[in-house]
Amino acid sequence: MPARPLRPHAWFILVTCGALLLAACQAQGSGSPGASAAAGSSAASAAPSVAEPNALSVLEWSGYEDPKFWIDFQTAHPDTQVNFDFGISDSDILGKMEASGQDDIFHFYSGWQQFYVDEGLVKEIDTSKLKNWDKVPDSFKKLGQINGKQYFLPWDWGFTSILYNTSKVSGTIDSWDALFNQAYAKHISMWDDGPAAVTVSTYIHGYDETNITDDQLAKIEAEWKLQKPLNLHYWTGEYTDFCPEVQSGDIWVAYAWQGCYATVLYDKSQPVAYATPKEGRNSWVGFYGISSQTDSYNLALQFLDDKLAKMSCENAVTNFYYGCVNQEVMAGITDPVLIQAFGINDPSILAHTNFTPLVTQAQRDAWTAMWLRVKGG
Amino acid sequence: MLGRRGSLWFLAVPPFLWLLALFILPLIVVGAISLLPGTGRIDFSHGWPSLNQYQQVFATDIYIRRLGISAVMAFVVAASATILAYPIAYFLTFRARQRATVYLILLLVPFASSYLLRVMAWKLLLGSHGAINWVLTSLGLVTEPAGLLVYSQAAVVITLIYVWIPFAALPIYAALQRIDRSHLEAAADLGAGPWTRFARITVPMSLPGALATFFMVFIPTVGEYVTPSLVGGTDGFMYGNIIQDLFTRAGNWTLGAALAVVMLLAVLVLVLVALRLVDLRRVAV
Repeated sequence: MPARPLRPHAWFILVTCGALLLAACQAQGSGSPGASAAAGSSAASAAPSVAEPNALSVLEWSGYEDPKFWIDFQTAHPDTQVNFDFGISDSDILGKMEASGQDDIFHFYSGWQQFYVDEGLVKEIDTSKLKNWDKVPDSFKKLGQINGKQYFLPWDWGFTSILYNTSKVSGTIDSWDALFNQAYAKHISMWDDGPAAVTVSTYIHGYDETNITDDQLAKIEAEWKLQKPLNLHYWTGEYTDFCPEVQSGDIWVAYAWQGCYATVLYDKSQPVAYATPKEGRNSWVGFYGISSQTDSYNLALQFLDDKLAKMSCENAVTNFYYGCVNQEVMAGITDPVLIQAFGINDPSILAHTNFTPLVTQAQRDAWTAMWLRVKGG
Repeated sequence: MLGRRGSLWFLAVPPFLWLLALFILPLIVVGAISLLPGTGRIDFSHGWPSLNQYQQVFATDIYIRRLGISAVMAFVVAASATILAYPIAYFLTFRARQRATVYLILLLVPFASSYLLRVMAWKLLLGSHGAINWVLTSLGLVTEPAGLLVYSQAAVVITLIYVWIPFAALPIYAALQRIDRSHLEAAADLGAGPWTRFARITVPMSLPGALATFFMVFIPTVGEYVTPSLVGGTDGFMYGNIIQDLFTRAGNWTLGAALAVVMLLAVLVLVLVALRLVDLRRVAV
């Protein structure tokens, strides 16, 4: 039978079906958190007394979704649905907040505070509603302030230094330049992060981290290109591709946070030490912010308040070996391994610590681009 | 009741819409983002279109060099996987007889586990405390574990070949099955030995399937980024890793999109050139 051309009414039916399908997709899409947030805000403006949704969306780092990290909130709000989205870097988290801002709460690390405020992505925190706020030392509170306003809630913190295997390294490591030592070739591991590489170089050369010149950045790039073959690999996950290699004895010298140090001290798989470089350790702080687009502000506040509570903080310290800003929890540490990992008995530790400064977006972009050239070169 | 053409439309429209929504439109979006002038994230307020990103791609030697390295790695992976998969497909077609279905299922067993798990297994095999070093030390061939076999370009190639072999065997198996056995019987009647029949009939007639296999492996391998990030170390960094880093670490979506478009076009050109050089209709005759 000869084929007949499609009649005009058949085209009409097809186009109509397509339009209906798209419309259905749009209707379906309005069920997404972002769309419901928009719908919620318009509803809220029409009827201000409408209740907040009993659900939260948190933009987190993989691993932090573990209920141990937010056990107090889960216990207090068993019926609240908490969903987690994930970012793999500070840049990724900022990018996701810029692109959609659909998460009520986001988690990032020191050095990135200013960007969220400048771009209007974050809502000021009403600390008067936080019953655990007085357990946070003022020094930590200040780190979450921009222009005198408390935009961010500090939560986890820790050190960055050189973790090394004392059975493979002769003597004591006392400088960041150990990461460039040919004697440890193929047994070194640097964190896969451009700003971190720049930070290490500024410590070694005494540069001002907030004002790196083009010449200095070129020198930093050249030295990391030379350092590249010395690495076993650039690590990306502390407990996925880094700590297991330290435990197996394949990594001897590494850029590391104290979490892996404590892990290896506990399991005694390798004899390790955590350096106090003459240039100083680095210290980092994790912050939570509440999205400016959230329609669950009060619930988000409760979530953050419960993050500061005893159990959640204790779990961060005892299960994951991260510091927590609740000073009552930190003061209650008696475990010798944790005391060693956090340097609690060392009164001079903070004097030998550099805190990550705020830098501009252009600086961060330049450092990340530099690192890409190092990796790809 | 729908006529023949109506049935054709009825069958063709859903997959067409699916491809349009999830393949063509995203490609257009990526292309549009790559034509943004600014550095970083999506912002159409600073003028569009612009070739700034493409200028940057060609002005930075590492991007093109890394694309070349990735293409060479993909060629080695695709050629090796095709060559290694060929005997498997041949065995299934001509030797397995009634057990062919069972063997085919066994070939597909690895797909029952996750891709990541299979790649991670290679870390255990190639690591300094892995199975290969254990065998070497146990046999007394080395006194200490050999240097790490993992975290290298070679590890990426070895792992990818392993991952692709079961996939690669399927198109070759399909091509071999289509060979009319009467050709082989006629050749045997005319005195051709097994090797002659294989070289003069089986190989040429299965070559289109083998070439399809090669490209099926080559094209996605050029943009591979998961395996290199797991077993590649600092040497095994591929072009796909640059794109991934630009999107997820640098927040530079515009340059990442331009690199993705350049890769797409480069692979298309390579495939078209290869198809031009190898006339499938001639080799299959």
